[in-house]
Amino acid sequence: MRISDLFSMSFASLRRRKLRSVLTILGVVIGIASIVIMISLGLGMSQQAMEQIDQYGGIKTVTITEGNSSDSASDRKAVEYKLDDELVERIEKMDHVETVSPVLLFDCVIKDGRYTYRGWGCQAYRLDALKNMGWEFDEGGWPKEGDELKFVYGNLYQIRFYTDSGNDGYWDTGIMPDVDAMKDSLFMIFDTEAYESYNSKNNEKELPMVIEEESGGADGEADVKSTSPPKRYMIPTAGVLFGNHGDEDYWRDYTGGVYCDIEPLLKLLKREFKGKVIPGQPTRKNGSAFRKIYYDEIYVKMDDYNYVKDFQKEIQDLGYNTSSNTEWIEETQEQARSMQAMLGGIGAISLLVAAIGIANTMMMSIYERTKEIGIFKVLGCDLKDIGAQFLIEAALIGLIGGVLGNVLSIIAMIVINTVTEAKTSLIPVWLALVGLLFAVLIGTVSGFFPARRAMRLSALNALRNE
Amino acid sequence: MAEEKTVIRVKNLYKIFSLGKEKVKALNGVDLEIKKGEFVAICGTSGSGKSTLLNMLSGLEKPTKGEIVVAGTHIEHMSENELVRFRREHVGFIFQAYNLIKSMDAVENVALPLIFRGVRREKRNRMAKEMLKALGVEKISGHMPSEMSGGQQQRVGIARALVIHPEIIFADEPTGNLDSATAKDVLELMQRIVHEEKQTLVMVTHDGYLASFADRIVRISDGRIVKSIKVENEKEWE
Repeated sequence: MRISDLFSMSFASLRRRKLRSVLTILGVVIGIASIVIMISLGLGMSQQAMEQIDQYGGIKTVTITEGNSSDSASDRKAVEYKLDDELVERIEKMDHVETVSPVLLFDCVIKDGRYTYRGWGCQAYRLDALKNMGWEFDEGGWPKEGDELKFVYGNLYQIRFYTDSGNDGYWDTGIMPDVDAMKDSLFMIFDTEAYESYNSKNNEKELPMVIEEESGGADGEADVKSTSPPKRYMIPTAGVLFGNHGDEDYWRDYTGGVYCDIEPLLKLLKREFKGKVIPGQPTRKNGSAFRKIYYDEIYVKMDDYNYVKDFQKEIQDLGYNTSSNTEWIEETQEQARSMQAMLGGIGAISLLVAAIGIANTMMMSIYERTKEIGIFKVLGCDLKDIGAQFLIEAALIGLIGGVLGNVLSIIAMIVINTVTEAKTSLIPVWLALVGLLFAVLIGTVSGFFPARRAMRLSALNALRNE
Repeated sequence: MAEEKTVIRVKNLYKIFSLGKEKVKALNGVDLEIKKGEFVAICGTSGSGKSTLLNMLSGLEKPTKGEIVVAGTHIEHMSENELVRFRREHVGFIFQAYNLIKSMDAVENVALPLIFRGVRREKRNRMAKEMLKALGVEKISGHMPSEMSGGQQQRVGIARALVIHPEIIFADEPTGNLDSATAKDVLELMQRIVHEEKQTLVMVTHDGYLASFADRIVRISDGRIVKSIKVENEKEWE
């Protein structure tokens, strides 16, 4: 028989028993839809989790910190594996490394009028690494290459400002401090120790205005008129990161952070602390400074998530410590997988019921068509063609059910996503295709035994059947 | 017609059914030769074994013992698949109960054996219509079996058997469900076509009058051939 005839006969047979075909197909529709919707929910959850991770430092990012082999972990002199430019260069040459940047964490005091921000852990990166973060700005942007030192503030940076009297920050009053980094002139004090000791000596009074700023100073450095208070610098603001709507819920990895380009910062620090130890840098045993700069972290961005683990292993073997979101991601994926398996399992039960429905319908069809099968056999219809007709009929039930099941799933996806206002349900093309394929497969498998039964019917007995 | 070659040759054919402990010999050593172009009526009472013989000749039933050679091939040891192919290529069937497919119209019913042969739709429908026309029922081409009289249904059934131009046509009580006038018409039609096309027709009947339309009557009783009569000259023929 021609394939087209097989199909048209199977289709005609489905049409002949409309109600039963519709009911059987409905079973498949519900089965496939429940599987697809369940898996789509699992996928949506997993996707949301990944997006969340991506917002908190990214999924391809590795942070390298110094390793220590000795037990005196708190003593920096005992640290053997420090992070220096050599290591940065070495990592730059490694495979799948997209961006590398040394990271310097530094403390500084930022003052805006009566407000003070004790900026612990301000972060200095190379400019390309900062740009790589994929962060967006509310105002301004990243500093340009070769610019003087400029700061970039995370959204909600105002939260960190207090007056020296304390108790009137955002967390106390619920009102954002009146600080505008873009418009105000902000002053920075890098020698925080000197600032604090000066402050306590002066009864925590406002730092006297003994320093005058150079209005057009290329590097923003101020002339020093008095040696007792620490030097203050006016550092312009390059930008404020996205999310500064006064909404404390808009929390990001960068929220409340202060960022800058590491090159001009190092230039400034080297000049500021000429011959002295830059705060935060390790010292020799005799207390004097090293000639080179040691970094607090090295930021590495890989070109592919899949190499993150191997890279970490390699760096750890060198003696350094690494951290990334890998474990978090793996945990999340593990959770998502078990969630999907559970949800898919629930859907699978309804599909199993649908499969039994198909088999039942096909068996009924064979009983009703026993005589017809007998006539077909006597008239010379190939056994495999008889089997094929029933298989195709069952597969058609699966196919139609699969198509409609996918349609139902997509409608459900749209409804769920509209109601939850998020991508709670996610149906990628592969899921729809797998669902369809699965439906056809289920149909074919369910049709297999009925088809074999039809093939084995004795022509003579079938003919005598009324 | 001695110069005609043999189309069916049966040698020493036995069919034994076991009914509990009892063994029933439906066929008890049958020998038979049918020549090409012959119209043979196998005649006998109910239970004589005539239908069993026909079923074996067409490969619907397997013999217990003996040889069946149809169109030059032994069919007694063929597998079901081979038998189906054999029927598709060599045999046309006419049933007592017509056995038309109820969900198909006359043309589709007649074209059915052609579908099994993989003939294209346009071609097989054209062939089916020609065959219906040859049998004088072209005006019911689009009718469903439920809309036809018995005689019309049987003509469609005959058209279905003839449409593949088989070498051999088997007919099991083809007029059993028809009134005598229609039965006579149908038989005359079969007789004419078979002679025109030089096809071999083997018909099973219990009715002596209907059998008289054949070239030869083979009378069967208790699983044995008891008589073989040439109709034209009414002479006994061994």
